[in-house]
Amino acid sequence: MLILFRFSGICLLRTIHLCLPDAGGVVLRDKNFRKIVESINMLHQNLEWFFPHTPEEAVKLIAAQGVILHGGGTRILKTSPKSIKGLVDVGKLNLNYIHHSDKQISIGAASTYDDVIRYSTKTKKLSLLAQALSEAASTPLRNRITIGGSLKDFPIWSSLYAPLLALNAQIEIADKHDKVISLEEYLESGMIKTKHLIKRIIIDDDPHLVGGVKRFALIRFEYPLFTVAVALRAKKKIISEARIYITGVKGRHKHCKRAEHFLIEKELTNDVIHEAVKHFNPKFAADYKYSAEYKEHTSKVFFTDLLQDLKGKL
Amino acid sequence: MKLEFKINNTSKALELLPNETLLNVLRNNDFTEVKCGCNEGECGSCTVLLDGKPVNSCQVLAMSVQEKEITTVKGIGTLYTPHLLQKTFVEAGADQCGFCSPGMVLASYSLLKENPKPTREEILVALDGNLCRCTGYVKIVDAVENTAKKLHSNNLVME
Repeated sequence: MLILFRFSGICLLRTIHLCLPDAGGVVLRDKNFRKIVESINMLHQNLEWFFPHTPEEAVKLIAAQGVILHGGGTRILKTSPKSIKGLVDVGKLNLNYIHHSDKQISIGAASTYDDVIRYSTKTKKLSLLAQALSEAASTPLRNRITIGGSLKDFPIWSSLYAPLLALNAQIEIADKHDKVISLEEYLESGMIKTKHLIKRIIIDDDPHLVGGVKRFALIRFEYPLFTVAVALRAKKKIISEARIYITGVKGRHKHCKRAEHFLIEKELTNDVIHEAVKHFNPKFAADYKYSAEYKEHTSKVFFTDLLQDLKGKL
Repeated sequence: MKLEFKINNTSKALELLPNETLLNVLRNNDFTEVKCGCNEGECGSCTVLLDGKPVNSCQVLAMSVQEKEITTVKGIGTLYTPHLLQKTFVEAGADQCGFCSPGMVLASYSLLKENPKPTREEILVALDGNLCRCTGYVKIVDAVENTAKKLHSNNLVME
């Protein structure tokens, strides 16, 4: 019912846009028009803004009902529920940084996708993550979407989760007490659904890890149906560690342990790749465009391509 | 309410509501050079520069950018004093209906400022958030390439 209402609202808004003489250039000076738009724009007119200077302050503020964090704001504007009464802007929390120390890379939660891509281009680090992020959204959106916001929301089309899980990322959370947990635990413990502030993402700087990521989207900046990420470590071409994740599946993400176990202590040959794919069985839900079988088949093709790409890098 | 914003190197007090996007606030305060197309962050007509980086102003809540430098297309050149990039857009026939032009120009400006000699592929990536309704992409990419060549041959830097 709610979806129907929102859909009809968007259609109405589009119809109004088309009726305007200024071909799409919405001039909101007309009071009646403004009222109509405001009734469709779900964000509350009396929205309260907070600009805390410390994470502790921010955590206290989001404890109130209807108050949420604002990073880049792109997701809030996509969903814009009227239940939001207040927004806590993270802009003054000094969470926009990328540091490298003690064989670890820390990415502040307010860093944008573009910040990570630039860091990777400059330092040649985080290439798996940067590859995924550079294919997500478009240039102007990558300049706004924050890593922390994307992690907290985890939309089904997320390009961020699969590579971060494959990289065994950890996150630092400010809640009642600060803590560092693995991203996998964050998802599986249900913590993602609670109110908290993500302060940073921590990734091991491991030069021996090779990885790749592939996302299935019809056009470059469309939301992907699924994203597969593979990270492998090898000694003399024999795989010693494998991490394989896929997002966009039933349950949102899947840790492909069977395929990982199969690959351990093997050399990545064509025969091994052929067999590994048999152990890669993500389950999808059908949607209005694609059947579950189609997605499953495509994901196996993507997984094969990824392993083929990585064969030459090990 | 009225709040101060830094727009095109000038401080301006703009009338706004706390739930309004930067696009609405700019247009309601006479910055109509910022165009509204899809209002969903897909088409790039509403592109402005925030601290020099292109963003979709329809996907930015105005309250969150009070301390940032906002640049609209009039901030880099006007009808009577156009920027080299704007002149080159016209020369290349890249302006066409003109609806996407403010966004295209700003996205290209940001690219050339950072990378004065972009490849065609780099131009395409930089403009991936800007849709041209006339589908005149070849001329637009030519215009960016031509501007880069002019900058290089005249030993100029993008300003």
